[in-house]
Parts: sequence; structure tokens; C-alpha cells
Amino acid sequence: MKWLRSRESALAVLLILLMVTANALEPKFVTMRAQGLLATHLWELAIVAVPMLFIIIAGGIDLSVGAIVALAAVTLGLLFERGTPATVAALAAIAVAGMAGFGNGWFVAKLKVHPLIVTLATMAVFRGLAEGLSLARPISGYPASFLAISQNNVPGYLFAVFALVAGFVLARTKFGRGVVAIGMEETAARFSGIPVARIKLVLYALSGLACGLAGVILVARNNTAKADLGMGLELEAITAVILGGARIEGGRGKVLGLVLGLFLIHETREFVSWHWKQNELNLIVIGSLLIVTVLLERLLAARRRA
Amino acid sequence: MKIQLSLLSLAAMAALFTAGCSSPETKSAGDPKAETTGGPSAGKKITVCLLPKKKGVPYFTSCSEGAEEAAKELGNVELIYDGPTSGDAADAVKLIDQWTAQGVDVIAVSPNDPAVLGPAMKRARDAGIKVITWDADSAVDTREFLVNQATAEEIGNSLVDSMAKDLGGDKAAGDVAIVTATLTAANQNEWIKYIKARLPKYPGLHLVATKPSNEDQKLAFSVTQDLTKAYPNLKGVFAISSVAFPGAAEAIKQGGMTGKVFVTGLSTPNDMRNYVNEGVVKSVILWNTKDLGYLTVYAARAAADGVLKADGTLKAGRLGEKKVVGDNVMLGGTITFTKDNIAQYNF
Repeated sequence: MKWLRSRESALAVLLILLMVTANALEPKFVTMRAQGLLATHLWELAIVAVPMLFIIIAGGIDLSVGAIVALAAVTLGLLFERGTPATVAALAAIAVAGMAGFGNGWFVAKLKVHPLIVTLATMAVFRGLAEGLSLARPISGYPASFLAISQNNVPGYLFAVFALVAGFVLARTKFGRGVVAIGMEETAARFSGIPVARIKLVLYALSGLACGLAGVILVARNNTAKADLGMGLELEAITAVILGGARIEGGRGKVLGLVLGLFLIHETREFVSWHWKQNELNLIVIGSLLIVTVLLERLLAARRRA
Repeated sequence: MKIQLSLLSLAAMAALFTAGCSSPETKSAGDPKAETTGGPSAGKKITVCLLPKKKGVPYFTSCSEGAEEAAKELGNVELIYDGPTSGDAADAVKLIDQWTAQGVDVIAVSPNDPAVLGPAMKRARDAGIKVITWDADSAVDTREFLVNQATAEEIGNSLVDSMAKDLGGDKAAGDVAIVTATLTAANQNEWIKYIKARLPKYPGLHLVATKPSNEDQKLAFSVTQDLTKAYPNLKGVFAISSVAFPGAAEAIKQGGMTGKVFVTGLSTPNDMRNYVNEGVVKSVILWNTKDLGYLTVYAARAAADGVLKADGTLKAGRLGEKKVVGDNVMLGGTITFTKDNIAQYNF
């Protein structure tokens, strides 16, 4: 019966409760058509949240994800504007984002600056670059073949592949065990021969690449590249990771928990603004959801000890 | 057949339930006022979503008051007024998608970023929802109609006329200058065109300069300061963006030229109230925001009923018959806020 008390089952129960309530109050909400339309709002966040989970498990944090998304979007837009084919521009954008992430990783892993400080700084730098390079104007007019990247649930399938690979890597590979070990006790991990610096470097670079992909998808969905895309994405991603059961101090976290956390946030957000038609309620509800989940877990943990 | 029937009744019950939950005061369905219509949804209760550029801004709140008034009057319109409190275009997209998923009847958008909102508005149209714009426009393939608050000609004329009035009527004499947003701003350039066309009506007034302020209040301040130094006979400044207006007024105030040089432009009463009361600004020009919201709901109802036609007319309650020019539903008319009436307006 121990599995019943895990974060994953708590999240699954909350999710089912939510959908049953939604079905009773707003039957149209629980239809394939509505869910399909609304799902498009989830994928950028979901894609960015996967590497964020790994970084948090390894005891780090990446506040610059939203800014890298913007930087990638603007790179794509500016290249496209100057005549580069959209797909080539998209690949270049992902590469630039990967380099931005690598930069973060280099500061964190090689110079050993605290990731909060590094990414707080680069969050401002990357966003500033995106705004400066694009002069904050929107760049639109992409061909339909490029816009297709964001349609027919392509981003959803991409995320499914990501999540499966991430789950496998975290649970079954040396790399995954290394990530957890770093988060548990970094010094011990180093002494036991785990390549701490290399793993960190890879994690931040991967985070950058994922942000690049999210940026490309956002541009394709909105048919516009703009420097304010991805604003606030970092906090949403961290919220999803924590809600999914990862420890903010590192050392613990599961991909399944993150996936459930993402869906719970997504469905709650969509349902609240669907039913009460007050957009601003969202913020309160997501914050409360996080607190409730944490309190619930405390309660369960206390029971277990008793 | 049986399944379809039961599904239908289930959907009807759900619709009743949600309608009852969210707006108890507008429950009465069917209204005699809509019976002249012939479209598929004529007379039926419809849901109209009104999206402002930013929620919680006095300007848009005032528009929404007019919209609520119209919805109550019609009786068969359930009005949802919601928008991003941050003014973030991505949030506006999410709302439009959600309304599309809900299958509402009409979405009326004041796009805060037409490029970003465009694809979502197209998705809504593809799903069979009527999409119109109000207050600001977006690409023509993303909406059917625009509820247009005032033509550039009306705004240009009214700016020049009130400037002339502020400077002594037909005998007004002296130099005037324009402080605009950017030299490429489309709206402002239209207004400037009509300001120039109207000025000859007052032979004493001479336009000496048109300067950009790049939507920067500090720049508007220094540009206006420079103008007063360069043109000693300067009597009036048209500050024709909401950012340039207070900047220019502040320059006149701090330069000690209150009563010697007057600033006029487009803004909301709240933003310019102090300058008006201090006498730096004699008149502030704007369209009637409540009427804009009111007309938008009437246009939405007509669009849903399929009776809103290009180059036709629209019967809009207390506003009477309004012209549709091309695909623009024209509100028309401006109001001028002065020391005498500004206290009555709070937005």
C-alpha cells in the first residue's frame, strides 16, 4: 500500500477528481475537440520542464529558460527575415539556444558560481539580447510548411518521446544515477568518480536545446517571433517540477511525477478560466495547488511515521 | 436517433446550467428586439466574448460598462468580459483558444498584438465562430468586421477645431507644432494628414514643425521644450499619442508657459485630469468609450444573426442607426473633455 502514498498517486487522484468535476460542471470541457485545442498551450512548458527536472534533481536551477526561448525565437525571426529558409533558421535558433545553455553550464560547472546567480544574470542578458536584436518588434509571415511544426499535436508527440527517453535515462543509466548522486551529496559524488562538472555542463546545454525547440514551436504556433515570448516560463516550469514531487534541494524527482504535475497544472488552469471566466483566478489557483500538494504530502508523511 | 436526442438534451441542460450559473441576471432568453433578424441564430440566446487589450485598465473598464448595458438591453446576449491582466498577447491567445473550444457565438477582440493574435482568431473562425475586432484592428482575414471608434478625419478635424477654439476661435493666430509617436506610426500619420487638411480653415494658424517622440515621455518633454525655444511665437502643440501628451504638457508646465502655450491631444480624462485643472491643457479629445463597448455588443449580435452587412447600416439601441463603411462599423463622434465637464468622467 506504500505506492498509494506516493506523490504520483496523489497527483493522479487529484487529476481524476478534477476531470470528473469538470465533466459534471462543463461537459464540453472533457471532449477530444476541446482538449485537443487546449493542449497546444501545454507543450512549450512541458518540453522545457523535462531538463529543468534533471537540473533540479542535480541540485541546480535554471531561471533563464524563458529568456532562452525568446532568444531562440528572435534568432529564428531575424534569420528568416533576411532570407534564410524557415527550417534552417529554426535549426540555427536551436543551436544558439544550446550555446546559451552551454554558457550557463560553463559558469556553473567550471567556474562554480551558484546556478541561481548565473541564470538570474543570464535571464536578464538573454532577454535583453532578444529585445535589443529584434528592437522588440514582432516578426511574422512564416510559410505554412513551417507552421505545421506546431500543428496536429506534433509538439505533443515530441514531448512524449522526450518524457520516455528522460524516464529511461533517469532510472536506468549511469548518467541518470550520476544526476541523482550529485543532488544528494555533490562532494561524495565527486569522490566516487562521477564526472560532476561534465554532467552539469550537459544538463544546462540540454536545457538550452529544449528551450530552443520550445521557442521554435512557439513561433510556429503564433506565426510570430517576439522578444517577450516565454515570459515567466521559468517559474511555471519550476512549479511543475516541484508539484511533480522533485525536491528543490536536489537528489529526488521522477519523470512520471513531472508529467502528472504538468497535466494537473494545465487542466486546472484551463478549467478554472473556462468555468469561472476570470483569467486572473489562474495565478491564485496554481499557487494554492502547490501549497495544498505540499501540505497533503506532509500529512501523509506524518501518518506514515505514526 | 435515441442517442442523438439524449445527447442533445444533455447538451441543452448543460447550456442552461452554465448560463444559469454565470449570469443569473440575464437569464431571459428571446427578445422582441431581435425578431427582425433572419439568420440562423436570430433571437436565440448567444454568448459574446469581449476581449480587451488589457483587463483592469480604466479605459477598457469603461468600454465594458457600455457593453454590459447593451447586453442587458438586448436580453439575449450573455456577455463574457475577460482579458489578460498583464496585457500579454500570449495570454490573450489562450483565452481565444479557450472560447473557441467552448464554442461561443461571437468573439470581439481588441488585439494588443495583431500578429500574435491572428492565428488564434483564424482558428476561431475555422471553428465557425464570428470574430470581430473593436478599438483596434488586425489583419482583414482574421475578422469579419471592425467596430471603428472614430475616423482619422473626425479626429484630425476635432483636434484642429479645439486647438483653434482654445486659441481664440476664428481669429486664432500663431505657430502650432505636432509632437507625434514615431514618424512611421500609421494611426498618427493618418491623423496628421487630416490635421494638415483642416488647418487652412484657420488662416492665422501656422504649422511649423512635426517631431517624433518615439513613444517616450521624456523625449516628448525635451522635444516640446526645444520647440518652445525654437519658435517664440508658438501657441499650441498637438501631442497626438497617449505618451507624448503628458510629456508635452509637463514641458509647458515646467517651462512656466501655462496659459501662453496650450497642448491638446488624445487621451483619457484620468491621465490628463491634473493638466486640465491646472490650465496647461484646455481640451482633451477622445471617442466615447462606453458607446464603443455598447456598439460592439450590438454589432456582435447582428454578426451572429447574419444581418451585419458591409456598406449597410446597423440599428444600435440608443445610438440609433449606425453606418457600416466597407467592413467598418462606424461609431463616430468625439467627445472633448474640458475643465467644465472632466469631473463627470472617471476612466
